[in-house]
Amino acid sequence: MFSRRLTLSVLLAWLSSLAPALAAGGHALPLDAPRLSDYLPINNSMIAVWIGVGVIVLFCRAATKQMKLIPSGLQNVAEWLFESLYGFLEGLLGAHLTKRTFWFLGSTFFFIITVNYLALIPGVGTAGWEMLDKETGEVIGFTPLLRGGNADLNMTAAMALTFALLWFYWAISENGFKGFMAHIFAPKGDFGGIMLVLMVPVFLFVGVLEVISILIRPVALSFRLFGNIYGGEQTLEKLMLLMPNKYLHFLPALPFYFVELLVGFVQALVFTLLCAIFLKLICDHGDEEHH
Amino acid sequence: MMTLLAAAASGDGILGPFGFSWPLFFAQVINFILVILVLKKFAFGPIQQMLEQRRARIVEGEEKLKRIEQQLADSEEQTAAAIAKANDEAKRLIEEARESAASLSEAKAQEAIDQAQQILTKAEAAARAERQQIAAELKKEFGHLVAATTAQVTGKVLNDEDKARINQEALAKVES
Repeated sequence: MFSRRLTLSVLLAWLSSLAPALAAGGHALPLDAPRLSDYLPINNSMIAVWIGVGVIVLFCRAATKQMKLIPSGLQNVAEWLFESLYGFLEGLLGAHLTKRTFWFLGSTFFFIITVNYLALIPGVGTAGWEMLDKETGEVIGFTPLLRGGNADLNMTAAMALTFALLWFYWAISENGFKGFMAHIFAPKGDFGGIMLVLMVPVFLFVGVLEVISILIRPVALSFRLFGNIYGGEQTLEKLMLLMPNKYLHFLPALPFYFVELLVGFVQALVFTLLCAIFLKLICDHGDEEHH
Repeated sequence: MMTLLAAAASGDGILGPFGFSWPLFFAQVINFILVILVLKKFAFGPIQQMLEQRRARIVEGEEKLKRIEQQLADSEEQTAAAIAKANDEAKRLIEEARESAASLSEAKAQEAIDQAQQILTKAEAAARAERQQIAAELKKEFGHLVAATTAQVTGKVLNDEDKARINQEALAKVES
């Protein structure tokens, strides 16, 4: 009973602290990742990306340092993670397509989740310097030292575009160019005679819609991931600024850290799952033939 | 996508406020391709290789198991067939032995009967010969007795001719 009251009191105190603080100002994570060089197209999210890659590679190297046929320790963990995702995708795509595409889908999933979680490390996106107006000396912006890799639209768009190109390659190599076009434009179902003549323009129109849908997919993929991760980081940062006392900045954001842990996982899964589903939709016939 | 990319290409357009920039975008595309290749080569490659190796071993093991089970079934079938064949052979041998024993026993019995018959014949022959010998001796003795008795009754000295004649007459009377 006492603990329930205490929890309620803490919750109310926390909520009451939000109201006045929401109106407060403070720096926010900029939408664009600042360039680190005037000559090379490098920004701080790329640094975070390569740190993420380094973490994955180090983990995998440590796990596979002394590979044994009967796994134990870190190798067991790595294989469990790997096999779980492989089995999940195999259930969705089938054995043939999974074997062919796992190098991309698996890498993308582990890359996104690692980069998402790295962005939650205190300091990433929050530690940086304020930019001052040279003439007035006023704060005109904030540049974080590091930025969550997926909180950069250029990164998520690059992932979506890479997938889109691979999607075309896999779709055409699985169905053939004729089969690929037929998959989009040809009438589905067993039509004959006058019905076929009537259905051709309908399915041509459906094909045009399908093409639009295919072109929209990378945009949806990139903005979904970017929006969720950037929004999450922005939320955490704004919530931290709600507390007037800088030593208590962490307090309002603390519950949302758990939400962001979930979001980081869900967004990695959604991106990978959608890529797999788009692939399955176009390679469906091809995959059945292989079986 | 194309519309958005076209908008982005024409300047910052729609994507500009979100931080999109062509040079950074292309740099990120190259970056991401490198990331994927690095992860494939150094991170997931060895794990996938190990998993495929293990999967292959499991498949191989299962195939071996199936083969062993098949061999076991074949072996059991062959053993059962061999046992059945041996049973049949044993039955046949027993039957043959039984038949052989029966025929042998019959032959032996016949042989015994023959031998007994021979013994009986020989015994009969011996008995007959002995009887004939005894009869001859008796005849001889009887002749002597008849000759001696005749000599005593008549008081005559009988020569060999008389003796032979008296013997023959006496024997002829006894035998008749």
